[in-house]
Amino acid sequence: MLAQAASWFEGFMAFLTPRLPELWLRTGEHLMLTGIATGVAILVGIPLGILAARVRPLRGGLTGGVGILQTIPSLAMLMLVYVILDGVGVPALGAPTAIIALILYALLPIVRNTLTGLQGVSPAVVEAASGIGMNSSQRLWLVEVPLAMPVIVAGVRTAAVVGVGIATLSAFIGAGGLGQFINRGLALYNWRLILLGAIPAAILALIVDGAIAALQWGLRRKRSGATAAAAALDRFFRPLALAAPVLLVAAGCFSYFSTALYGRRVTIATKNFTEQLVLGEIMAQLIENRADATVDRRFNLGGTPICHEALANGEVDIYAEYTGTALTAILKQPVLSDPDEAYDVVKEAYSERFGIEWLPPFGFNNTYAITVRRSMAEERGLEKLSDLIAISGQLRAGFTAEFSERPDGYPGLKEAYGLRFKDVRDLDPSLMYQSVKNEDVDVICAFATDGRIAAYDLKPLDDDRNFFPPYHAAPLVRRELLLARPEIREALELLAGRLDAATMQRLNYEVDGKTRSPAEVAREFLEREGLLE
Amino acid sequence: MISVNRVSKSFDGGNTYAVREVALEVREGETLVLLGSSGCGKTTLLKLINRLLEPTDGAIEVDGQDIASQDPISLRRRIGYVFQGIGLFPHMTVEENVAMVPRLLGWSRGKRRRRARKLLDTVGLEPDTYADRFPEELSGGQQQRVGVGRALAADPAYLLMDEPFGALDALTRDTLQQELLDLRRRLNKTIVFVTHDIFEALTLGERIAVLHNGRLEQVGTKEEIVGRPATDFVRELFEKPARQLAEYGDLL
Repeated sequence: MLAQAASWFEGFMAFLTPRLPELWLRTGEHLMLTGIATGVAILVGIPLGILAARVRPLRGGLTGGVGILQTIPSLAMLMLVYVILDGVGVPALGAPTAIIALILYALLPIVRNTLTGLQGVSPAVVEAASGIGMNSSQRLWLVEVPLAMPVIVAGVRTAAVVGVGIATLSAFIGAGGLGQFINRGLALYNWRLILLGAIPAAILALIVDGAIAALQWGLRRKRSGATAAAAALDRFFRPLALAAPVLLVAAGCFSYFSTALYGRRVTIATKNFTEQLVLGEIMAQLIENRADATVDRRFNLGGTPICHEALANGEVDIYAEYTGTALTAILKQPVLSDPDEAYDVVKEAYSERFGIEWLPPFGFNNTYAITVRRSMAEERGLEKLSDLIAISGQLRAGFTAEFSERPDGYPGLKEAYGLRFKDVRDLDPSLMYQSVKNEDVDVICAFATDGRIAAYDLKPLDDDRNFFPPYHAAPLVRRELLLARPEIREALELLAGRLDAATMQRLNYEVDGKTRSPAEVAREFLEREGLLE
Repeated sequence: MISVNRVSKSFDGGNTYAVREVALEVREGETLVLLGSSGCGKTTLLKLINRLLEPTDGAIEVDGQDIASQDPISLRRRIGYVFQGIGLFPHMTVEENVAMVPRLLGWSRGKRRRRARKLLDTVGLEPDTYADRFPEELSGGQQQRVGVGRALAADPAYLLMDEPFGALDALTRDTLQQELLDLRRRLNKTIVFVTHDIFEALTLGERIAVLHNGRLEQVGTKEEIVGRPATDFVRELFEKPARQLAEYGDLL
C-alpha cells in the first residue's frame, strides 16, 4: 500500500515538476484576465446599477440586457466577441476577446446586486437624508451607496469567482490562462493535464473570493464596544486584509511579466488536433534549438479561421497549414487536383494578400485515402484505387457521413473510378478504423496520416487518377519575421520533405495510440533525424 | 413665523385629501403641537412645511417668504427635523450623524467636531462616551437624543418634530419631554411638534392644533381648547382621558 502510494507520488512529481514554470505563467495570465475584467466590470457595472436604481424607465432594459448576456453560452460569447472585434479591425486574438467576454459576464451580478443593494436601503433612512437637506447626489454617495456596499461587494465576489471559472475557456481563443492545460488535455485525452488546469483554477477561485472578503472585512468600520483582545487582533489583521487583493494582483503581474517578457519571442499556433500539435512542437523545438528564440506556444486554437486571422494580424508568427484547406477555406477557390499547382497558387496569393510566406512542404499529404486491410490488399493484389474497380461489387464500405455527401467524397469517387460498392454504411470517424480492422467493412475513407493506419496494419490505396484534392502541409510564417530573423527560415527549411505520410502516421500514433506527449514525440523525431545542434 | 394658508394635499388626484384647507400660524418662539389620531394628516402637514411633500393647493410661508419659490435643499438645512422612525444613518458614528448638516453646509472639520460634541452635551449624551459609537449600540432613548442633536446642529430657527418620543417607554418619554422643555427655554426655537398623545400635547404645547380627517378642528391655547372646545370631536377627545384619569384616581 505504502509502496504503491510512493510510486504514485513519484509519477505525480515527474509529471508536475517539468510543468511548474508553465503553471506559474498560466496562473499569472489567469489572474491578469480575471483581474482586468472584474476591475472594468466594477467601473461599468456599479454606475449601471445606480442608473437602474434611480431611473425607473431604464431599469427593465438594463437588468434584462445584462441578464441576456449571461445566458449566452461561454464559447459562443467568445466567438461572437472575436468576430465583432475582428470585424472592426481590432487585433482580437487572445486577451482582448477574453477580457471583453469576461466583462460582459461579470456585469450581471454587479449590476443586479448594486440595484438590489440600493433598493434595500431603509426608506426611513432615505427620507431622513432628504429631510435634513441632502441633495440627490449627496444622498447617493453619503448614505445609499455606503449602506448598499455589502450587497454590492457580494456581487463583485460572485463576478470574480465566476470569472475565474469562465476564464478557463479563454485558451480557446489563445488568451492563455489555466484553460490552456485543460484544452491540451482534452485534445490529447490526458486527464492529468485537464486536472492540472482545473484544480489550480478551482483553488484560484477560492483565493480570489477570500481576498475580496478580506478586503471587505478590512474596510469595515470598527465598533467601539470591542474587547481589548479583539481590538489587538483587529490591528494585526486589518493591514493584511487590506493588502490581500493588492498582493494577489501583484503576484499575478509578477508571474505574468517575469515569464512573458523573457527573451526574444516567437509565437507558434496550432489547430486543435493531434497532428497539428506534433507539427507545432517540432517547429517550436527546432527554432528554440537553432534560432535562439523563446517560443510562446499558442496551441489548440479553435479552428482554421482563428489561426489564419491571428497570423494575418501578426499576433502569431507561425503555424502549419494544408494547401487544400488554404485554397477552399481561406481563398474560397475551387480545389486543384495538381499538388504543385495548388501549392504555387496559395503561395502567391498568401504572399500578396497577407504578407505570409509558405515555406517548403513537410512532405506528407493529409488527404482522404481509400484504405483496406493489408492482408486483403496482399491477397487480392491491391496497390492503387483502380485495382478496386473490378471487385468493388463484392466489397462493403464504411464512410463518414460527411464523405458520403461531399462532392470530393463518394459521389465524385463513383464518377472518377466507376466504383459501385455492395453496401455503404455511415460510420463515426472514431469507429471507422476499428470496423475495417474487425472485418465489419472492407473499405474506409481514412485520413492519410492517421496513426491508426499503421497501428491496425491497414493499406491506403494510391489515388492514381488524382481524384482527391491535395492537402500538403507546410509551415506558414509572417514575412516580417523571416526578414528580421533569417535563421528561422533556415531552421524550418530543414524540415522540407522530411515528414512523409508514413512518418507522420507513426508520430500521430505515438501520441494517439501510446498517449505520449507531443513534445516528447517531436523531440525524438528531431533527434533521430539529427536536426538538433 | 410659519404661516399655512388654506393648504390641501391629496395623494390620489383629488379623490381624498390627507390635509384639507388647513390654515394656521406658528408664532416666533412658540411650540405648536399638532394633535390628532393616526391618519389625520398631521405628519403630512409637517412634511409640507419643509417640502418633503408639495401641497396640492394653497401656500406656506416661512419668515414671510413663500417656500414654493425657495430651493428645497437649503430650506431643509435651515429647518431642523426629528423623524418618527429616528432615521439615524446606521453606518455613521453618533458624532458624524450630528455633524451631518454642518458638513453639508461646508463647515471645517474642526468646527464640525466642536459643534457636534457641544450638541451631544446639550442633549444629555456624554461626548467622550458616545461620540464614536454607532446608532445600533445605543438605546432607543439615546438614539432619539442623537436625532434631536442632529436637528439642532446648524442652529436652525425652526424645529419640526414628528412623534419623536412615540416609540419610547413611558419613563424615558417623560424624561425626554422634560428635557425638551428645558431645551426650549435655553435655545428659543420655534417648534412644531406632532403627537397623538393628549398628555404629551398638554405638557409640551403652548398652543395646540387639533386635526381630524385632514381638517383643522380648532387651534388655541390649552385653556381655550379644553375650556371652550369648538367642535364635538375636540370635546370628546379631551373628555375621554379625563374619565380614564378619574377611574385611575378611584383605583388609587
